[in-house]
Amino acid sequence: MPSTNKKNNILHAVNGYQDALDHQQELLKTGTDYNEQNGHVANTIASLHPKRIQLVVSEVIEDTASTKTLRFKAKGGFLPPFQAGQYINLFVNIDGTETARPYAISSAPQQRGFYDFTIKHVADGFVSHFLLNDVKVGDHFQSTGPMGTFYHNPLFHGDDLVFLAGGSGIAPARSMILNMIKKTSQKIHLIYASSYEADVIYINELKRLEQEHDFLTITWLISRPTENYAGRTGHVSAELLSELLGNDLETLQAKMFYICGPTSFHDFCAEQLKQLKVKARRVRIECNGPPKRPETLAGWPQNLIASDKVMVTIHKADGSQGQFEARVDEPLLNSMERNGYSAENACRSGECSLCRVKILKGSVFNPAEARLRSTDEAYGWCHSCVAFPTSDIDVLV
Amino acid sequence: MTDFDAIVIGAGNAGLTAATALQRGGARTLLLERHNIPGGCATSFIRGEFEFEVALHQLSGMGTEKNPFIMRKIFNDLGIMDQLTIVEERELYRVVMPSKVNKEHEIDIVLPASIKALKKTLSAHYPEESENIEAYLTLCEKLSLECFMMLPRAQKMADQTVLESTCPNYIQYGLTSSKDVLNQFFSNPDLKTVIAAYWCYIGLPPKDIPFCDLAMMIYAYAAFKPCHVQGGSQAISSALLESFLNAGGKVLFNTGAAKILTENEQVKAVQTEHGDIFSCQHIISNTSPQHTFNELLDIPTPTQVADDMKSRRLGTSAFVLYLGLDCTPEELGVTAASNFIIDDRDEEVAFTTMQGIVDPTHTMVTCYNYDDPSFAPQGKSTLSLLCLQYSQAWQDLPVEEYAQAKYDFAEKLINHAERVFPNIRKNIEEVEVATPLTMMRYLNTPGGAIYGFQQNTQDATMFRKRIDAISGLHMAGSWNGMGGFQPTYMIGESTARAVLKKIKKESEMKQQELTHA
Repeated sequence: MPSTNKKNNILHAVNGYQDALDHQQELLKTGTDYNEQNGHVANTIASLHPKRIQLVVSEVIEDTASTKTLRFKAKGGFLPPFQAGQYINLFVNIDGTETARPYAISSAPQQRGFYDFTIKHVADGFVSHFLLNDVKVGDHFQSTGPMGTFYHNPLFHGDDLVFLAGGSGIAPARSMILNMIKKTSQKIHLIYASSYEADVIYINELKRLEQEHDFLTITWLISRPTENYAGRTGHVSAELLSELLGNDLETLQAKMFYICGPTSFHDFCAEQLKQLKVKARRVRIECNGPPKRPETLAGWPQNLIASDKVMVTIHKADGSQGQFEARVDEPLLNSMERNGYSAENACRSGECSLCRVKILKGSVFNPAEARLRSTDEAYGWCHSCVAFPTSDIDVLV
Repeated sequence: MTDFDAIVIGAGNAGLTAATALQRGGARTLLLERHNIPGGCATSFIRGEFEFEVALHQLSGMGTEKNPFIMRKIFNDLGIMDQLTIVEERELYRVVMPSKVNKEHEIDIVLPASIKALKKTLSAHYPEESENIEAYLTLCEKLSLECFMMLPRAQKMADQTVLESTCPNYIQYGLTSSKDVLNQFFSNPDLKTVIAAYWCYIGLPPKDIPFCDLAMMIYAYAAFKPCHVQGGSQAISSALLESFLNAGGKVLFNTGAAKILTENEQVKAVQTEHGDIFSCQHIISNTSPQHTFNELLDIPTPTQVADDMKSRRLGTSAFVLYLGLDCTPEELGVTAASNFIIDDRDEEVAFTTMQGIVDPTHTMVTCYNYDDPSFAPQGKSTLSLLCLQYSQAWQDLPVEEYAQAKYDFAEKLINHAERVFPNIRKNIEEVEVATPLTMMRYLNTPGGAIYGFQQNTQDATMFRKRIDAISGLHMAGSWNGMGGFQPTYMIGESTARAVLKKIKKESEMKQQELTHA
């Protein structure tokens, strides 16, 4: 019974006190104890942003000799909506090591019967090797919900879009293109760079779409062509972009550029757009994993070589501790996972901050990929997916 | 011995403050947080080059270094004051009511953050009401002092004559509807609207806000200055966590509480979402009472709590656009960090539009780098556009339509603000949209409520019995007090103090039992 305690009896002298008490009685009569809403918050959020989705492989589609598309259905039937260009983080257990990798959803957002993930073989790729070789129809997986900010944002992206795709970076472009089929106002110029002719993913589907729809223009680019290749060759250079898109700065500025591919492709394309004086606000670059060779980056400690090893001591909140040795050029999250420790994670590229851990002692190298909050470093917080231990460290997980 | 003396569920403002105060006070404390970062809404996120403040608009109660107020003392006691860089705002706010026919605004006034200058500015704009302005602001000051000092004393003494002799303004105006007091003092409708603009920070129109709340806000902000903190509210949250850890506290992130376990209506332990069980003497819940009692507690909600909730109504949520702009505040035409853009002098119109996804009539624009350039990359601006809004209409949308509805409403909000700041859209470099469902996702509150229950007069603590049906279970947060930063920090601190007292008493009793035995 909401009522006042003794000392408040003097408050009857206050104007409006009795009115408020009367109001309270009135509300009490018509109010609810909120028990009918039990589970409502959790269910509402799960329908838009589930923390985990239970997936089952429904089809394995061979795209090229080095690429497959894995089609996943939801175990419970429900897949949450996503925005074309977003990714999920797929959890895997490979010979006892629990890890995960983010994959862009390559299927269209209009249909939610399945999600497609297009996976290209990566030389020495731990997870891609597993997904391409060991996964079969009927296998079960867990993933995060769809995440990420690499999608067309109608508030400022405009209708004139350019997508620079390198290799399997075509995956989110496919979803975006499929999503545009019924949208009359947008147009997109896809500039799709592959190393070899045999590597080109979705070639038939994309050619058909280009023929059927006015909104889509495709420029194919092969960097290591065979002798008889008749199409365009080379890289996504500033010259090529000028040739294809024109030189007029105002026209270029009105476009929105999306870049997705390997890290070297990102860096190269971003540099070309800079040369063309395209402003940062007109360029979106998808994140793409931790830097491969951190020892080559600005800020890497002198005298530290990639093969150096340090001791990592893990402190769990329950007071227990564990230790393992790790190479300084391996992301902390990866070495933790190989040694049986984990941190929540999704983008594995420094952006989403889910894998945030605290360095209690010692130091780590945070590359530019680590999108840390301004106060993080002062207190030792880092994003473990892109943090490289540069001394013996103690980590709170 | 239990695993912990106290377990705090939720690392929001009140939870973090409570946990820090408890651990520093000698109680072995475990802090559970379902997200990966401390702060609740007192946090920030990164997009591109920008770090966006999520929720803090104007921190109250700090005072200046020379003239410190209560929050400095609290932060000092929590061991974090020297970690914070405080930025004082020069202005309280600007109110603009754009004209519907031409480019001349119907109302456009910037209120300075000082009582003296505030009186001067208002009198210059509304000279025919200058005496009323003086009287009104003097009343706000007196009322604030009475609420802060004399009223608690009179209540403690339970002496009506003390109340009558020391709180005359409170007796006359304290619990009166703010709208009635505004009507009583002023005749110019513009002035009433301008001086009551802080109603947004409570989320109810002045008609439903007791005057003491509105009066204290304008007086305290003007006298003690609104502030920002470098690094945003995340800087406060991170500093609190650090202080908690340094004192020996244990924290588990990505670990929500799944059950509160009791025995004979006395708390015993908390079970986490991962299945771990930690025993404890006390639980401080920083999550809503609905979640705490109806969902976490292992026994049916006690009648005392159910009845308390029955007389409360869900408070508002908010729709927020976080904008990183490729232009300076000057280029944008910003002349105060905090801006209220309104289409109607009547706040009740705003309250009606808050119920659905319709054209907004009252919005707030905060430019974080106006008073301190460190809040945005060089040459750029960090802005938030906010509109108070209940969540029901968003909950009713099919999930497929959610994203589009989100962008459609964001467009409306930008259009609304562009009548005052015309170049927003063309300068967007980064944008993130948060709907009431986003608030629900990150705050885990029913309806995505940002201030807890509706803070009408009868909702206040003085009309409430302390919830004590489950021994050892304490509530701390906006749901059992006022919403906003200062109130939630303060309730966290006072809850911890009460729990520490109990722990001390309990251990003294145990000691006595031992000596007698």
